[in-house]
Amino acid sequence: MNWADLRWLVPELVLSAAAVLLLVADLFTPAERKRWLGWFAVASVVPAAASAVILLGDLQALRSPGVRIFSDTYTLDAFAVYFKLVALGAVALVSLVSLEYFPGRTPHLGEVFALLLFAGVGLLLMASASDLILLLLSIEFVSLSSYLLAGFLKRDPKSNEAGVKYFLYGAATTGVMAYGFSLLYGLTGSTSLYDIGPRLGQAGPAVYLAVGMALAGFGFKVSMVPFHQWTPDVYEGAPTPITAFLSVGPKAAGFAALVRTLSVGIPLEQVNWPLLLAALSALTMTVGNLLALVQRNLKRMLAYSSIAHAGYVLMALAAWRSPWALQGLLYYLLAYLFMNLGAFFVAMVAADATGSDEIPDHAGLSQRAPWVAAAMAVFMLSLTGIPPTAGFFGKFYLFAAAVDAGLLWLAALAVANSVVSLYYYVGVLRALYLMPPATPGPLPVPAGLRAGLLVALVGTLAAGLYPQPVVLFVETARRLLTG
Amino acid sequence: MPLDWAYVAVFALVGAGMAALPLGLVWLLAPRSHYPQKRVAYESGIIPFGEAWSQFHVRYYLFGLAFLLFDIEVIYIYPWAVVLRELGAFAFVEMLIFLGVLGVGLAYAWKKGALEWV
Repeated sequence: MNWADLRWLVPELVLSAAAVLLLVADLFTPAERKRWLGWFAVASVVPAAASAVILLGDLQALRSPGVRIFSDTYTLDAFAVYFKLVALGAVALVSLVSLEYFPGRTPHLGEVFALLLFAGVGLLLMASASDLILLLLSIEFVSLSSYLLAGFLKRDPKSNEAGVKYFLYGAATTGVMAYGFSLLYGLTGSTSLYDIGPRLGQAGPAVYLAVGMALAGFGFKVSMVPFHQWTPDVYEGAPTPITAFLSVGPKAAGFAALVRTLSVGIPLEQVNWPLLLAALSALTMTVGNLLALVQRNLKRMLAYSSIAHAGYVLMALAAWRSPWALQGLLYYLLAYLFMNLGAFFVAMVAADATGSDEIPDHAGLSQRAPWVAAAMAVFMLSLTGIPPTAGFFGKFYLFAAAVDAGLLWLAALAVANSVVSLYYYVGVLRALYLMPPATPGPLPVPAGLRAGLLVALVGTLAAGLYPQPVVLFVETARRLLTG
Repeated sequence: MPLDWAYVAVFALVGAGMAALPLGLVWLLAPRSHYPQKRVAYESGIIPFGEAWSQFHVRYYLFGLAFLLFDIEVIYIYPWAVVLRELGAFAFVEMLIFLGVLGVGLAYAWKKGALEWV
């Protein structure tokens, strides 16, 4: 271990320092100035993201696919940097809208932003962890911050329910995952993914048991069926900005960790995990979509939709033998960041006015806030996968990967699911555009929320209309991970 | 490889046996006598009063957490102290940062009034 290695950790160090500083500053900030803490949180993401980009430049200058530090427990490559940027984007956007949401709902404003930053540090660690112990610790770090955030509004029974359910479910799945990890260690005598791969040897029942148990933990983080039951209740009960955060941040990082664990630690030739994930992907997207059809609460509907989207992304792992798979996964998660955050931000606008998350209570939003309704239309169409939005290109990549890997049935099922999903996404637009508002008059949209919506909208459209830069980055990241 | 797992199984069985054997022997061999006082909860020799399922003040929980934190911290410091000479300045600075973060936690708890009994 030496000092020089620390430079690869600068984004994490910057964000940790900012979080600790924020916590201390909160103690000495009078109540009326607490909003500044939120701005500080948003601002602190900038140096962290900038340093991550600089590290990417350093990697390219070294002509190295990635550096492994701290005895191979931590890997920094383009793949990790990509997920770090996605995670930081989620933290920044959610902090921005939290500035409008939490004041007046809780007196403990500083802790919201500190916890968001701490969760962000966890996400950065998850994207790079290449050792079972560090992986487990970083997942737990994200989870613990998320439990607190989900249950943050302690006078709101639904928020409490969300926090407790999330905690109990998370604790149980982490336990199962830790057991799976211990079996992997027992089988190979190492906790490093780089050692586990070559040493795993011929696959027996023990290997399958270990991989299956480890999948429980990742499945929980990305809400994969059958580990999805917490999703609707937590998404509905948690404060809406936090729901938005949970639906993109931990999910993207969960996929990053899953991809690294499977592609580095579990050789395809010995364990046929793509087949297992094809089955789980089919199950996840179908269950998510069918249950989303009957939801009347917007947040619950988006929760089931996020389960369905986890199913689409899992298709990339099922089609891992195709060179398109990782590209599709990376592109899709970026598109998903913008469109899903955007959808939740719109849910905040309408819920602020009516105090309800039921879809019919959003009726007539097109008359009260035409731009917000138009943005929602873009997000909904993007989530369905209609061109020229980012969601279309994402799905295109994933379907192409599935076909390329010979999984025609899975691609066909995904197309059928997308058609089904059109029904409930357009159902929201029907309420927004065709139903009359309960109370007329323009709806004020707070500045922070407007900014967040604008970024999500521009992101969704830009990644769809001009995907070149993202595709280029994604292709580089793919080549660097798979060599 | 199966042999390794057999070791684990034997170890588990012997371990369980070691725990079960004395309990079983006592159950079999020990003389038994029953009288009502035996069923009373042990309260350091005094006769217990009130309900055992009483409400505890939520404040115990705050103190419990704060105590646990600093109790665990010591576990990290012991091995650090043993190898500090070999690791040198890096480990020293590392521990200072670790203690600094813990200090922030203590300051936070203090300022928020978690250390006061009201």
